[in-house]
Order: sequence, then structure tokens, then C-alpha cells
Amino acid sequence: MALFPLQGMFDGDFVLMLVPVDDQDTMTQVAEKVAHHAVGRRVAAQDRPLQVRRNSVPVPADATVTSAGFGPMDVVEVGYL
Amino acid sequence: MPSLERSQWYDLTRDMNWNFTYVDEKDVFPEEMSRSHGIAAEDWWGWDEPYKVTYTEYVHNQFGKDASVYAVNAVVGRSKIFESLDPGWKSAIIAHYGAIAVPEYTAGIGESRMGRFGRAAAWRNMALYGTLDETRHGQIQTYFPYGLLAKEPRADWAHKAFHTNEWGALAARSLFDDMFGANDAVSTAIQLTFTFETGFTNLQFLGMAADAMRVGDVDFGSLISSIQTDEARHSQQGEPTVKILIEQGHRDVAQKLVDHMFWRSWKVFALLTGLSMDYYTPLEHRAHSFKEFMTEFIVKQFLDQFRDFGLDKPWYWDEYFLPELDWLHHAYHLGVYNWRPTVWWNPDAGASPEERDWLEQKYPGWNANFGRHWDTMGENIRAGKPELTLPETLPMVCNMCHIPICTPAGYNAGKLDSPLPHVLVHEGRQYNFCSVPCKWIFEESPERFKGHTSVVDRFLGGEIQPPDLGGALAYMSLSPEECGQDATDYDWAAQAYVPGGTAAGADK
Repeated sequence: MALFPLQGMFDGDFVLMLVPVDDQDTMTQVAEKVAHHAVGRRVAAQDRPLQVRRNSVPVPADATVTSAGFGPMDVVEVGYL
Repeated sequence: MPSLERSQWYDLTRDMNWNFTYVDEKDVFPEEMSRSHGIAAEDWWGWDEPYKVTYTEYVHNQFGKDASVYAVNAVVGRSKIFESLDPGWKSAIIAHYGAIAVPEYTAGIGESRMGRFGRAAAWRNMALYGTLDETRHGQIQTYFPYGLLAKEPRADWAHKAFHTNEWGALAARSLFDDMFGANDAVSTAIQLTFTFETGFTNLQFLGMAADAMRVGDVDFGSLISSIQTDEARHSQQGEPTVKILIEQGHRDVAQKLVDHMFWRSWKVFALLTGLSMDYYTPLEHRAHSFKEFMTEFIVKQFLDQFRDFGLDKPWYWDEYFLPELDWLHHAYHLGVYNWRPTVWWNPDAGASPEERDWLEQKYPGWNANFGRHWDTMGENIRAGKPELTLPETLPMVCNMCHIPICTPAGYNAGKLDSPLPHVLVHEGRQYNFCSVPCKWIFEESPERFKGHTSVVDRFLGGEIQPPDLGGALAYMSLSPEECGQDATDYDWAAQAYVPGGTAAGADK
């Protein structure tokens, strides 16, 4: 369990943000943490599940930050499926 | 006054050039200070300024300018003019003072470096006037806001901003250190005077002075006009320097210096002037959009200059610069507004229905690309949840321009191929850039830039404690009273936007 900084980007938002996550967070949790800073703030909420991508490739929802091989300050792309 | 005509003695008294016999020329003009590019001493002596002035004339002129502008300030200071100004306009001038006043003073360092290490006596002479100009600009632009303190305490940031780690101040300091604070004489002439002053500020100050008069800010208008007349003179140091570089076969050097500094200047210009023109200036007083201003004055003027001197337009002009005119400052505005506690002025949303119709008219597609964010923010305001328009983390910041990385906005607007930042790992450290040219500038001179840390780097490095937004605000020297707030107390969001719902929108 350790704090892990990522660059978060939510589809449709205008900016990249520093998003602190935990290295054991699953992609579901990472998606929620990124969405927290954009959805309902500048991006309209939708009733659809979220998905994490890296370089446009989806990352399995149950993968953790560590198991998915993310490095500190990597970019996570999050959006609605 | 001398009894001879100026033309009969000017060149003689100005051109105090000679060959050294008791000291080595390299010791008089060290390369790191002069950057002569191997051009022989005598070849610099043909440096000839287009606008000539003697010291007597200079003092006479400056005395008259100061007498005039300080008189206006004294009268306006006893009036209620400032109180009656539009809140957005007040934001524009408070932002301007913080970002510009002390940098003008430090520009005197760059001018005095040219005044000592410029390779021709004529140039050194001109640069000394430039030193005096910039000293005056620093003084006058801290004195005028000083007179506003009782009416607007944030006017204090005219002096304070540059001495803090506020993110905008970091961006400005990084730019100006690169441009003149830590620059050699030749590069300063080309990057400060030819690129930044001739290209941007000279025209911007003309536009700002006209805008100020239109909104009724006589004080600021006379101040900016007065400064502009100095800029128009000392900015001409660049032209003869570029000429000599090109004549001596160093066109590539001049081109690269221009390419580098035009891009960096553009970023900060978009941040300051873009927001002021398209969002902070009252709608009824906007003479043109920021894009129209850029296209008509800056872009055209620069292209003319390039042609006149035999330079090319910067390599990124068509692919990266021109497309940014359509989206970059709109994204910056969203950033400044959403992170408004981190700035020393009160950002004006400028997103009322009338203003949105104007933006749509000037930037077709604005509502689809940017208005939808303001829709969501407006809903939150109307629902009594303004906290949802405030930040809970930091935006990522570019390691060159130090402004938030807004590549997703460019991608959403169809102007970029990818929303991702441009990442570079150099000597084991990761650098994040907002654009290809920002990354290019770093890669051209990594030794110059690699040691600098962005506000996000500092946060991650533990320099900001406690490591949260409150800690970041304290690190930026922003007390709760100083943090920016919505300039109009959310007036802009009083009603939901309906496309074409205003007279301007219906006309369209």
C-alpha cells in the first residue's frame, strides 16, 4: 500500500491532472479517482461504466496499478464505455 | 542645448569603438555574456539603430511623459473611476500588474547587459536608454497599483507576485529568465527586443491602451500608452542585431533564437492577453476577438518581419501555432477559472448567454468544444454547489512553459491528433510537455532547462507541505483573502444557456 501519482485524463475534459492513487488500487478504483476531478464538474455524468486505458488500450478492471505495470506519473485515460 | 545640428555630431559621439591593446578582447566581451558568434569586432561596428535619440532629448522626452502620466494618476486617484470599472476589467489590470511590473524592472538587467556587453557602441548607447526605460516601467507599474491598495488590496501583487512561487509567477519568471535575466547580449537583442517586444508587447500595449480608454480606465490607458512609446524605441535593438548576424552568415542562429522565443512568448501571451481580451473585457467594449487581434497584428506583422529580414516563419507556424489560435486560450481560461484560488486576481467567467453567443460567433464551434464545460459548471452554480467548480488537485504543468497541459482540449477541438502530453525522459527524469515546440525547446538546450522544477515536481518532491491544495496555496503565498474568486459572484450562471437565445445569437 503506497501512494502512487498518476497523470489522469478524463475523456471530454480539457486538462491533465495530478491524481494520487494507491499502488494496490484496481482500475475500477483508479477510474473513480480520476472521474472524481472531472465528472459532474466539467464533464456531464452518464449512467455507464467507466474504463481505464493506457495509450488507448483498455486495461482490465480488476488489474491493480502495480500488476498493470504502471510507473509513477504515467498517463491514465479514463472514459465511459 | 548644443548649437550644432544633431546629425553633425551624433555619430561621432556615439561611436566610441576602438581596438584593444592592453586587454584581450575576449576578456572585455566574454562569450557567455556577449555571444558574438565569432563575428569580428569591426563587423559589429556597423550596427545602426533605426531610431536615434540623444541623452538630452531622452531626458527631455521622459520628463514630459512622466509629468503627464503621473498628473493623470494624481487626478484619477482622487476620483471614483476605479470603483466604477467593470469587475472583469479590474481582473485584467490586476493580473497585468502582477505578471508585468517587476519583470519590467528585471528587464533592465537584460538591457544593461546589452549596454555593457553589446558589441557596438551604438548598441550599448541604445541599451542604456533601454535600461532607464525598463527601470521607469518597473517603478511606474508598481506605483500606480500602490495607489489602488485602499480600493483593491490585491494590487499588492504588482510587487509581490514575482517574488512568490505562485504558478503563473513561476511561468512568467521562467520565461523572462530565459529571455533576458540569464541571457547573453546577442540573444537578448533578438529574443527580448526583436521577438517579444516588437512582435508582441509593442502592439499589445497599443491595443490595451485603446481598450482601457474604451472602458473608461483613463489611468491605465495613459500608463500603458506612455510605456509603449519607450518600447517602440528600445525594441529596435533587435533589427540591426539580426541584420549583422545574417550578413555574417549566421541566419540559422537568428532563426533558432526567434523560433524558440516566439513560442515561449506566445504561451504566456495567450494566458494573459487571451483571457483579458475574450473573457475579462466587458462585451460592449470588445473591439475584436483575441484571434482577430493576433491574426491582424501579431501574425501579419511577424510574417512581414520575417520576409523583410530574409528569415523564415518558425518551423511550427502552420502545424502547431496557427491551430492554437482557435483553442489554447479558451482552455487556459477554463484552467484559470477552475483553479481560481491559485491566482491573485478574480477571474471573470465571461460565459453569460450574451458572451457565449459572441464567442460562438468569433470562434465557430466554441459552444460544442468549450461551452459544454460551462454548461456543467453553470448547473452546479444554480444547484448551490459552487464547490464543484473548485479544484481538489493540481493540474499537470508543462516543464517548459509551466502552464497547465491542456492537450485534451486541443484534441477535443479537432486541432491535435492526440490528447496525450509529450513525455521525455532525460537523464532518468521524466519531463512532461504541452506541445511539440515546448519539447523541442528543451531538447535543443537540455543543460539550460533540465534543473528547473515545475510546481507539480515540487509537490511530488515534498517541497509543498502539507501535500494538499491548502499546502499548495500557502506555498504560492496566497492567503484565503488573496485567493481569486468569481469576479461577478456567479452572475454569468444566473440562467442556463440556450443557443441563439440572445439578440446576438438570434442575429447570427
